[in-house]
Amino acid sequence: MGEKLVKEVFEALFALEDIREILRRTAPFHRFTDEERALAKASIERAKKAIEAIEEELQP
Amino acid sequence: MPSDARKVALSYIDGYSTCDYCLGTLHMNKKPPVRKFLESLSKFLGMDFAILTNGCREAKFAIMHSIASPGDTIVIDANKHYTSLVAAERAGLRTYEVPTTGYPEFKVLPQAYAEAFEAIRRETGRPPALALLTHVDWLYGNLSDARAVGKICKEYGIPFLLNTAYSSGRMPIDGKELMADFITCSGHKSWASGAGTIGILALSEEWIGRVLRPSRGYSLKPIEILGCSARGSSTLALMASFPHVKERVGHWEEEVSKARWFSEKMESLGGIVQLGEKPHNHDLLRFEAPALDRIAKVHPRRGFFLYEELLKRGIVGIKPGRTRSFELSTYGLSRDQLSYVIDAFREILKTYG
Repeated sequence: MGEKLVKEVFEALFALEDIREILRRTAPFHRFTDEERALAKASIERAKKAIEAIEEELQP
Repeated sequence: MPSDARKVALSYIDGYSTCDYCLGTLHMNKKPPVRKFLESLSKFLGMDFAILTNGCREAKFAIMHSIASPGDTIVIDANKHYTSLVAAERAGLRTYEVPTTGYPEFKVLPQAYAEAFEAIRRETGRPPALALLTHVDWLYGNLSDARAVGKICKEYGIPFLLNTAYSSGRMPIDGKELMADFITCSGHKSWASGAGTIGILALSEEWIGRVLRPSRGYSLKPIEILGCSARGSSTLALMASFPHVKERVGHWEEEVSKARWFSEKMESLGGIVQLGEKPHNHDLLRFEAPALDRIAKVHPRRGFFLYEELLKRGIVGIKPGRTRSFELSTYGLSRDQLSYVIDAFREILKTYG
């Protein structure tokens, strides 16, 4: 369990880091292009998937 | 810092995270592949060998402390970073400063190094132990002619330390072409790195034995870096940023073009003048701004008004309180983002001017 759990935690962190990258590139107004919006959406999905996996791993 | 490097920094944030498979000292390690990285790094800089230090200042001190003896004289330029002087002081060295051309360009002319060498020989009876040039200075963003200085140093037989804290990692650097014996770099300033401070000391082969001499008691530990240096996430962040840096130096001309364009636009606002060399050859720009300083004299927030007005607009980077002159960098920003900054200054001048 431990190894998969740690892997999913990092997966979630890295997905959010990718969103941060888009925010940095588009400062200060954060007006996303369609491509950037799609990338951000994909990152959110990855983060959600990883968090779901974490929740599952933490089930007793 | 690219997102890959931030992810790596996060993964290696724990102390001594580079050390699990240590082979004796950081620059020899294969896991993580620090040794292989340093081989690529030294080639990238056009030098024979490179190690990591805890910062550029530590690299400068290591060189000065190895090459010169207390009481020796070294030559530094007047636009030096303060740490060049501090490193020399700590090594017990006397310094001879090469002057700039003064207001408004403050350029360091290569010939002044030859004049300095002659003056030192006359005054002390021997040549300087080392010559240091700040490739791009932190005050005006002037790009000095390192190759010309390197040539003069070769002619006089003086070891040449090129401080590339603001150049390597942003623009292509070839140490052999510039005739540098040593190159010092700042990872957190110009190599898209972070997670702490980190420096690079690159040198030509003839100096390896002297600058990287090991401890008498611990044969793998270089004494000038007290055995080991950046043994944690800052090293991994630098390694992760390296592919990004190798790619981005190829776009240096565009960065210079943007800086020149930005400078022109700022000056067209009126009451703002770019100091340092023109046309400018670097993204670091210093502006003298009497128009903003006049506002600061009567504004209730005094000099802080500029920082606060910019912050309101989502713009950061200028030191709080500065209005008479300030520095900024255009590096990595798009033309749209730079236009936004220009518009902000225009609006501030119109509102309060």
